Amino acid sequence: MNRRTFLADAGMGCTGLALGSLLWQDGFARAETALATGKPHHVPKAKSVIWIYLSGGVSQMESWDPKPALTKYAGKSFAETPFADPLKSPLFFKHSRDVVGGTRPYPKIFPLQVGFKKHGQLGIDIADWFPEIAKCVDDLAFVRSMYTTDNDHGAEFQFHNGRHQLDEQQPSIGSWATFGLGSLNENLPQFVFLGQYTDTRVKKNFAADYLGPQYTGVELSLDPKNPLPFAARPRSVLAKEQENQFEFVNELNKLRQVEYPDDEQLKARIKSYELAFRMQAAVPSVLDLTKETAETKALYGIDNATTELYGRRLLAARRLAQHGVRFSLVYLSGYGEWDSHNDLKNLHAKSAARVDKPIAGLIRDLKRTGQDKDTLVVCCSEFGRTPGLETREAYKMPTGRDHHPHGFSVWLFGAGIKRGVIHGATDELGFHAVEHPHYVTDIHATVLDRLGLDNRKLNIPGRKRLEIDYGEPIRAICG
Amino acid sequence: MRVAVLFFFGWFAPLGNAQTVDYARDVKPILKERCFACHGTLKQESELRLDTAAAMVKGQVVAKGKPKESELVSRISASDGSRMPPEGKPLTKEQIATISKWIEQGAMAPTDEKPEEDPKRHWAFVRPVRPAVNDSPIDALLDIERKSRGLSTVGEADRATLLRRVYLDLIGLPPTREQLKAFLNDSSSDAYEKVVDRLLASPQYGERWARHWMDIWRYSDWYGRRGVPDVLNSYGQIWRWRDWIVKSLNENRGYDQMIRDMLAADELSPTDDANIVATGFVVRNFYRWNYNNWMRDNVEHTGKAFLGLTFNCCHCHDHKYDPITQEEYFKLRAVFEPIEIRTDRWPGEADPGVYPKYSYGASYKPITTGMVRVVEEKLDAPTRFYTGGDERNIAKDKPPIPPGVPASLGGKYEAKPLTLPPEAWYPGLKTFVRDEETTIRKKAFEAAAIERTRARVLMAQAVGRTVLSPFAFVDLELANTTCRNAEALFGAAEADLESLRARIAADDVAYLGAKGDQKATAQAANRAESRHKIAASKTNLTKAELALATARRTKAQAAQLPTLEKQVAAAKTAIATAETAAKTVSEKYTPLSHQYTKTTTGRRSALANWIANSENPLTARVAVNHLWGWHFGRPLVESTENFGRSGKPPTHPQLLDWLAVELMDNGWKFKPIHRLIVTSKTYRLASNGPRHPSDLDNVYFARFPSRRIDAEVVRDSLLHVAGELDLAMGGPDIPQDQGLTNRHRSLYFTHHGEGRMMFLDLFDSPNPCDAYRRTAAVLPQQALALSNSEFTLELSGILTAKLLKSEPIGIDFVKSAFEQVLARPASAAEQSAAVRFLERQTKLFETEVKQLPPKVTPLRRAQESLVQALFNHTDFVTVR
Repeated sequence: MNRRTFLADAGMGCTGLALGSLLWQDGFARAETALATGKPHHVPKAKSVIWIYLSGGVSQMESWDPKPALTKYAGKSFAETPFADPLKSPLFFKHSRDVVGGTRPYPKIFPLQVGFKKHGQLGIDIADWFPEIAKCVDDLAFVRSMYTTDNDHGAEFQFHNGRHQLDEQQPSIGSWATFGLGSLNENLPQFVFLGQYTDTRVKKNFAADYLGPQYTGVELSLDPKNPLPFAARPRSVLAKEQENQFEFVNELNKLRQVEYPDDEQLKARIKSYELAFRMQAAVPSVLDLTKETAETKALYGIDNATTELYGRRLLAARRLAQHGVRFSLVYLSGYGEWDSHNDLKNLHAKSAARVDKPIAGLIRDLKRTGQDKDTLVVCCSEFGRTPGLETREAYKMPTGRDHHPHGFSVWLFGAGIKRGVIHGATDELGFHAVEHPHYVTDIHATVLDRLGLDNRKLNIPGRKRLEIDYGEPIRAICG
Repeated sequence: MRVAVLFFFGWFAPLGNAQTVDYARDVKPILKERCFACHGTLKQESELRLDTAAAMVKGQVVAKGKPKESELVSRISASDGSRMPPEGKPLTKEQIATISKWIEQGAMAPTDEKPEEDPKRHWAFVRPVRPAVNDSPIDALLDIERKSRGLSTVGEADRATLLRRVYLDLIGLPPTREQLKAFLNDSSSDAYEKVVDRLLASPQYGERWARHWMDIWRYSDWYGRRGVPDVLNSYGQIWRWRDWIVKSLNENRGYDQMIRDMLAADELSPTDDANIVATGFVVRNFYRWNYNNWMRDNVEHTGKAFLGLTFNCCHCHDHKYDPITQEEYFKLRAVFEPIEIRTDRWPGEADPGVYPKYSYGASYKPITTGMVRVVEEKLDAPTRFYTGGDERNIAKDKPPIPPGVPASLGGKYEAKPLTLPPEAWYPGLKTFVRDEETTIRKKAFEAAAIERTRARVLMAQAVGRTVLSPFAFVDLELANTTCRNAEALFGAAEADLESLRARIAADDVAYLGAKGDQKATAQAANRAESRHKIAASKTNLTKAELALATARRTKAQAAQLPTLEKQVAAAKTAIATAETAAKTVSEKYTPLSHQYTKTTTGRRSALANWIANSENPLTARVAVNHLWGWHFGRPLVESTENFGRSGKPPTHPQLLDWLAVELMDNGWKFKPIHRLIVTSKTYRLASNGPRHPSDLDNVYFARFPSRRIDAEVVRDSLLHVAGELDLAMGGPDIPQDQGLTNRHRSLYFTHHGEGRMMFLDLFDSPNPCDAYRRTAAVLPQQALALSNSEFTLELSGILTAKLLKSEPIGIDFVKSAFEQVLARPASAAEQSAAVRFLERQTKLFETEVKQLPPKVTPLRRAQESLVQALFNHTDFVTVR
C-alpha cells in the first residue's frame, strides 16, 4: 500500500479526513506521513492547546516556586549555607551545555525581590507579583522541577523543539501536535502563532522543520483587515469578482482532471482552493473580538491599558480553541522580555502586571464556559533565573539574576490535568531540580498525551528522533 | 513502503499470546536495530554474532525451546551491569517477550538465512562499473526493467508540454509565446535537440542549477541575530560563492574541480580570489560562538553533500551501520582543524578589515564589502578525541588525532604542507590593492595642493589689506595660520604618498623578487614612513594652532583657550617624539595589509583529492543521483544524503552506475549528462495515461512524473511570463522584504537560517540548513498567495496590457493568454469556459462600473481577471 492509493481509496472529498492528510505531499518520507496522522493513538482528553510563552526566563523563585532561604541567607555564598553547595552537585555539569564558553556560577545569594503568600486549599506559595493567578491556584498543576541544557536564549527554541541549539533542530511541539492529529476545522489553520516580535529567531518556536510548511505555525495578526498572510483580497478586487474567479479556476482545473485523472496533486489543489476561499472568510470572523461581551473583555483586562494587549491575545486564543484550532502559541511578552539580568525587581514587576490579569482571565473564562474540559493551557518560559546575584563588570550596582537552566517551573491547566497540585521540587535554594526532574520534552509528551498522542509513535521515516526528543508524560499531574 | 505499513499496524496489533512468532517479521528487526552494530558484520564483540539464528545457537546464547536457559534472554532482561544492549534504554517488555516466545517455539528461522553482508561489499562502497549497453543507455536500461515487469511506456508528450517541461527544467523559466510558436513551427528533426543546446548554453541554466546545488551545499547568507545585527552563522559577502556556483555551472566546470575548489581553493589556487570565494562552502558552516560546531558541521555536511554518508552518527560512537569508526570521525575533523575566517579586499570596494576574533558579549555586524574565505591559521591545533558528543569530555589519555579519511572506502589520503606564494599570505602585495592605495593618496595629495594654493592666495590678499588698514593684521595672523596648516597638510599628503611608494618598493624586493638591496629598501621605507609620521604630527600642531587662532578672535570661545593651548603643547611634544624616533635606523615598516601564515597543511586539498577521485565509489554516484532527481522529481536513491547501509537502495542500480561512470568519463561535466537525460525517450514521455497496477508509484518511469514546480520557479515564472523578470545576474543578496517588488530572480534574495521570504516559504523553499531533498506540499495558503497578493494582481494587469498590444480580436485574447501563461494552446472546452467567464466578469463590472479605475473598461478588467485566473491554474505551477 502506498500513499497515493491510500488517498485514492479514501476519496479526496471525504470531509472526515484531516487537513494534513488531504494535502498531497511529494518528496521522500512525506509519502508515508499521512499514515501516521489524523487519528489519536488513545482517547484524548484535550482537543486544543493554548501554550502561553513568557520569553526571556521568568524567575522561578519570584513566581511559582518562592524560596525563603534566599532571603534568610542573602549576601552569603552557597557554601556558607547549611545546604549542599549546588555548584558542586554533579547536576551542575549534567544539566547544562554551554554555547559560549564559561559557566555562570554567581555564588552570592540574592534575596527574594518580592514577597509571597500561601494560596488556595493546599496553601501553594505564589509570589505577590501574580495576585490574580494566585486566586486560581486550586485549578493549576505546578511542575517545579524543570531543567533544560542551554544557559543562553537558545533555550527558548529548545523549549519548543526539544533540542539544544547546537544540535540538529526538530519540528516544534505545535507542529507535532497538528501533524499527529489533523484538523478540527478545515476552514482554520491548525497551528497558530499570536504575538509580535522583531527578532526573527522567534519563528523557530513554530517552525515545522522537516514536517513541512503545512505544519508550520501560521502567524495570525489581530488586525481584522489582514489577519493571515495574503488572507485579504486586494482592495480593488470585488468579492463577487473573486468568487467568479475561484469558480473559473475550479472549472479549468476540473477540465484538466479529465485528462490527468491520476494526478493526486491536482486533486489536492482543487481542494486547497475551496479551503482557501472559506479560510479567508472564517479567520477574520473568529478573530473578531467585538463579538465578545464587555464583561468577558474585562475579565481579560482588555478594559485596562496595562493588560489590554495581552488580554486580547488570550481572548483570541480562547476563540480559536473554541472554533477548532489545535494549537495556539501565544507569545505573551516581547522577545526576551523577562530576561532581568539587572533591575529584576522593577522589570519583573512590570512584566508580571501585564500578564497576571489576562492569564487569570483565560483560566476563569475557560472554567465558566466549561471549555477547560478539553482545552489544555500551558504556561512556560525557557529557563529560570540564578539564585545568586549576577555580577558583571558592566553593572555597578548589580540587582538581577542570570539565566538558570538547572531548575525552573511550568504550570498546566485543564483537559484533565490535576487541579491544585505541585509536582517535583528544586532544592532549598531553588537551584537544582532535585525531585522528579523533567526535561522540556516531558512537557511535550504530556501535551501530546492529553491530545491522545504517543510522542514515540510520531515519526517520519528517514528522520531520526532521539530518546530525549520523546520525553515521558508527567503522569503524576494527569487526572 | 512495506516497512511503513508494518510499522503503522505494529502499534495497533501487538503480538497476541497465541500467535506464532515469525522470526523474520518479529524478531530480526529488533535484533537488527539494537544488537547488530556490535554483534553483526561491523563488529563481533565477544566473538558473537546475532545476525542469523544459526549464529545465535552456535554462539550458545540461544537454547532452542528453552528461553530460560538462553543467555540472550537473560542478558536482555538483566537489570544489572550485564544488561544488553549496554547503551540506551533496555528492550521493552514486549520485545523481550517476543524473543523469549520465539525461542520457546523452537527458535525457527529460514534455513537459507544469510548473515549480514560484509559492509565493504555494500553496493555504494564498491566502485561503479559501467554496465554494457548499446545505444541510448538510459532508455535501454529502463526498458530491460520495464519489460521484465510487463510495463509499457505511454506515448511521447505533445510538443508544447515537452517544450515547457524542458524550459522549466533547464533554465527554471517557462517558454514565452514566441518561443512556443517558433518550436511548434520548427519541423526539423532535431528541433528539440536545438532547444536543449540553446538552453544549456543560456546563462539562466547556471542560475537554475546553482539553486539546486545550493540546496545540497547549504548556501546561506549570514544569520544569527539579524535584528541586532550580529553575525553568528555563515558570513557577510558569501554571495560571491553563489555567483561562483552560477558561473562555474555555466562554464561547465568539472564537478571534481568544483569540489576541490569549495574545500580547498585557498590551497590549490592560492592567488586566485575569484576562485577562492568557492570556499564559501566551508565558511557557510561557520558558527562564531562555538568553533566545535563549525567543525562538526564541516564534517557532517562534507559527508552528506559529496559522499552521501552520515558522519554525524559517529560523532558519539562508531557508526552503527557503516564501517566508519568514531576515531575516523575525528580524523575528518582534523582536516578542518586549522581553519579560520579571512576577509579580503575586492577591487573597487572598501577594505572590509581583518576578521575580528570573538570577544564574549560583543556583537559583530556583517561585512558589506570585499570577500570572505577560509585561511589556515592554527597549523598545530590538535584535534582531541572526546566522548558522548560533548567537547568537554576530552579523552585525556588519547593523543591528538591526525587528519585522515575512513579506511574502508579505500583511496589514498596524503596531506602535504604547502608553501604559499607571497600574494596569498600577504594580500597587500596584490596589484589592485597597491593601485587603489596609491590612487587614494594621489587624490589626497592633489586636493592638498589645491588647498595650499588657495591658502597662499588668501595670504597674499591678507598681506595686501594690511597696507590699507592696521586692523587687518588680525586677519593676517589667521590667514598665516591657515596657510601654515595647508602647507603642513600638503607636506603630510606628499609624505604619505612617498611612504607608500617606498613601502611598495621594499615589498617588491622583499617578497616579489625585484632586484635591489632588501635591507636598504626596507630602511628607506622605514625612513619614508617616519617622515610621514613627523609630517602628520605637524598637521596636528597646525590644526591646533588654527583652532587657537580662530578661538582668540571671538570672546565666546575664550573658555576653550586653555584646552587649545594644551593641545598645541601636546602636538609639539608629539613632533619631538616622532623626530627622535625617526633617528633610529630600522628595517621595520607597516605592511600594506595583514600578513597570514605562509604555509598551509594541505589537509583539505588532500581530502578534496580523495573525494573528487574516480577511485571513490560514492562521489559520482551521489552527484548523478541528485541530477536525476532534479530532472525527474524522484532520485534513484531516495536517501540522497545517505548511501550507507541504513539508506535506501537504488531503484535502478545499473542506471545509477552507468550515469556515474559516464560523468567521470566526461571530465565530471554536468552538461553532457543533462543532455543525455533530457533527450532520452523516457524524459520525453507524456505524463498522463493509465497507471500500471504493478507500478503505482511509477518507479519504472513508464510515464513522465509530473510535479509542482519549485518555489523560486513559481515566483520567477510569474515575473517572466508578464515580461517583468530582470535577468541581471549576480551581486549582493537582495533583502527578503523586497521579494514582491524587486524583479530579480529568486536565487538572488537573502536566504538564511533565520527566516525565509514568505512567498517562497509557502511554496516550500528549501531550508538553508537541510535541503538534501525538497518537498512540495499543496496548501490553501498557496492559493491565497496567488489570488490575493498585489503582486499577481499587478502582473496580471501588466501582462493583459502586453497581450492587448497586438489588438487581438474575439477569442484571440483567450488563446494568446493561455499560450503566454501556460505555454500551450487552450482546448475548445477551455476556450468556451473562458468566454463565459469574460462575459460574467464584464457584466459584473457593467453594473459596478464605479468600482473601476479610470479608463479601464469592464472588458479590460475581465481580461485581467482571466490572466490572474491562469496564474492560479494548476498547470501554471505544475511541470507536466
